[in-house]
Amino acid sequence: MSQFDQDTSPEALRVAVLSWLDTHWDGENRRPLTEPAYDRRHWRQQVLAAGLAVPSWPPEWFGLGMTSAQCKVIEKAFAERNAPGTGLDRYHLGAITVFKAGSDALKREMLPELLTGPICCLLYSEPNAGSDLAGIRTRAEQDGDQYVINGQKVWTSNAREADYGMLLARTDWDAPKHRGITFFLFPMRQAGVEIRPINQITGESEFNEIFIENARVPERFIIGNLNEGWGSFQTAIAYERLIMGQGITGRRRNSPTRSRPPLLELAEKTHKLSDPVVRQRLAQALAYREVNSLNNERAMTEMMTKGSMSLMSLSKLAMSRIQHGEAAIATDLLGPEALLDGPDNSDAANTNFDAAKAYMNSIGGGTDQIQRNIIAEKVLGLPKEHEPDKGIAFREVKSGTGPRTAG
Amino acid sequence: MADMGLLGIVISETCGGIGGSDIDAAVVAEELGRSLLPVPFIETCVMVPSLLESGDITEETQDILSAIVRGTATIAIGGNTALAPYRDPNSTLKLNSDGSVSGEVSLVMHGAHADFLLLTFGSDAQTRCVLVSSDSGYDVDKQTANDPALRPATIKLNNTPCTALTGLRKDDLERARLRGVAALSALQAGAARAIFEITIDYLKTRYQFGRPIGSFQALKHIAADLFLEVESATSAAHAAANALASADPLAAKSVALAGFICNDAFRDVSAQAIQLHGGIAYTREHVAHLYWRRARATLSMLGDSDTHRETYLGAWETAA
Ligand SMILES: Cc1cc2nc3c(=O)[nH]c(=O)nc-3n(C[C@H](O)[C@H](O)[C@H](O)COP(=O)(O)OP(=O)(O)OC[C@H]3O[C@@H](n4cnc5c(N)ncnc54)[C@H](O)[C@@H]3O)c2cc1C
Repeated sequence: MSQFDQDTSPEALRVAVLSWLDTHWDGENRRPLTEPAYDRRHWRQQVLAAGLAVPSWPPEWFGLGMTSAQCKVIEKAFAERNAPGTGLDRYHLGAITVFKAGSDALKREMLPELLTGPICCLLYSEPNAGSDLAGIRTRAEQDGDQYVINGQKVWTSNAREADYGMLLARTDWDAPKHRGITFFLFPMRQAGVEIRPINQITGESEFNEIFIENARVPERFIIGNLNEGWGSFQTAIAYERLIMGQGITGRRRNSPTRSRPPLLELAEKTHKLSDPVVRQRLAQALAYREVNSLNNERAMTEMMTKGSMSLMSLSKLAMSRIQHGEAAIATDLLGPEALLDGPDNSDAANTNFDAAKAYMNSIGGGTDQIQRNIIAEKVLGLPKEHEPDKGIAFREVKSGTGPRTAG
Repeated sequence: MADMGLLGIVISETCGGIGGSDIDAAVVAEELGRSLLPVPFIETCVMVPSLLESGDITEETQDILSAIVRGTATIAIGGNTALAPYRDPNSTLKLNSDGSVSGEVSLVMHGAHADFLLLTFGSDAQTRCVLVSSDSGYDVDKQTANDPALRPATIKLNNTPCTALTGLRKDDLERARLRGVAALSALQAGAARAIFEITIDYLKTRYQFGRPIGSFQALKHIAADLFLEVESATSAAHAAANALASADPLAAKSVALAGFICNDAFRDVSAQAIQLHGGIAYTREHVAHLYWRRARATLSMLGDSDTHRETYLGAWETAA
């Protein structure tokens, strides 16, 4: 039984977590007390064993059955001691999806593994299936208790670091497009998986092209049921959008967290903080951010009390307006300096980076246009547009730049 | 509303009210916004009680508070200070040496029918607040408003007897103003949501080209964006009410935020509602123009969006 009691007060919980950390973690040197250096897997195993990796999950599934308020207390305590490893129930897309959509057997086998080390990438998009994701044509064919995968994926972030990929592949070509897809937990490190980095407009190359040729995945690694992958995938994509709507994709990774909004500092530095037009724009930008977190708070409550995701669906769209808007203001604050770049011109470089990076939010995880379609249809209940491919066997559907070659 | 006790929603129990908080006031205001009821709720039931209860309590103020609760006293506010819902820069109000009040003030909403006027004038540094009973004799010129439900008036006073409110500190005046803005924001959030829902219903039922117009993506995307405005207005209005109710030291910042977010949301949602309805909303029979007119009328009430934005940014500068 766990030492962290669900019925405890927030303060008592904080004390219990801190005291657990104090017997396990050396915050100053950022390593477990018992070990000479930080080893991600070893440390995560300890956190997981204590239930602190995924505190909101039930005790029978590696968690502590904590409320989201209690999880916040735990996350704060970890932050206080400079310790990593909690909150995977909020951020680890792969583990969350397996937990929510996987069979008990898969959960038992793979969650301890997923929660202690491996990185998961998202093998969804293909050259001819972006917004129209259900049009994927990567194929999975059964061979004994395995599936053989062939096809091409693209824009796969962090594929080179990943041990597993959450793979959407077609298993039935005669069913309509949403109904012939299966969702797999796909082992990335095997022959038949070729990864080619793509250079991004930010100067980074996080995402990749993936060529899959006769690679294999065990049947028991199907997340959910055969041909019902579209449903399981909804869980994964909902969490991804939720995470994006909290705005963690925004800034350059190593920018310091300051108490004063960066835009205010930039306005001061560029001597424009007293310009009334600039002040109006700054106020509006800060307001969009504050209102988005207020919306998110309401969304959390709504989700907990009514199980409704309707408010949640807004935050990713709102985040696009925030990120693009802030980058536009920063560009104007810098004036001609914004044409510069490189380490000698860090304000310009940061601003140009932010301006480019904002597209990650407005394109990745479903474009703003697709988000608006979803809000209008799923939340507001507006009728769908004419869908020429509805109900048609997938092998008959046109895609990309012409008719699809049949599977 | 009096029967339900709603008029005394923020008035203390000792004065016959419910003793509710700004959160309760926001709930009522949201509903008033939805229905567009043209009543001086914000003035009579939020701002005036806030002033009366924070200043010196006299027999007269007690009586007025009970009358508000019973529904027998409506109060309009006019003047040239930040407390006036519609600030009249040309107001000539002044206090005479005998304690009476003279001068002219326009843009006094509900001024023609109110049982009392609360007149506020002077400078922001030295704001005067006096109460004038409608029995005490003054002239009223009705003004014509763009929103047919609203009745502003010009009030002309000539040595009219009045009661000066005493014991009010600057903070008390500012608090009454903040509470007014918070209630107004809730009203706007409720109104924006109402006309939004009316519009979404129409998009589902109006057919053109053999399909519901709501299936056209150009309209869907506007609807999704407006939904963000509506929800943001609700969030901002609730946050402002919460901040006031919990005496948050940053309450003025939350109120300023709600001030412009709700102003702009109501304006944009009601304006797009007409466009999304097409010709039917260009007629006086349809309700859309009533929301649109009310939105335009509230844009400058208790401070315009630009002023709120400036206040909000100023609060960020001092907070950080
Ligand atoms: C930084 C970044 C990281 C990414 N990471 C991953 C990842 O890890 N894994 C992964 O699988 N994918 C990833 N993606 C891919 C991303 O999900 C797709 O780029 C996105 O879904 C859009 O698809 P597309 O690029 O094919 O554009 P298209 O679908 O071709 O869209 C082109 C344009 O048409 C518009 N459009 C398309 N359909 C409609 C419609 N029905 N209504 C209105 N407008 C429409 C779009 O909004 C867009 O403006 C990433 C993308 C980015 C930018």
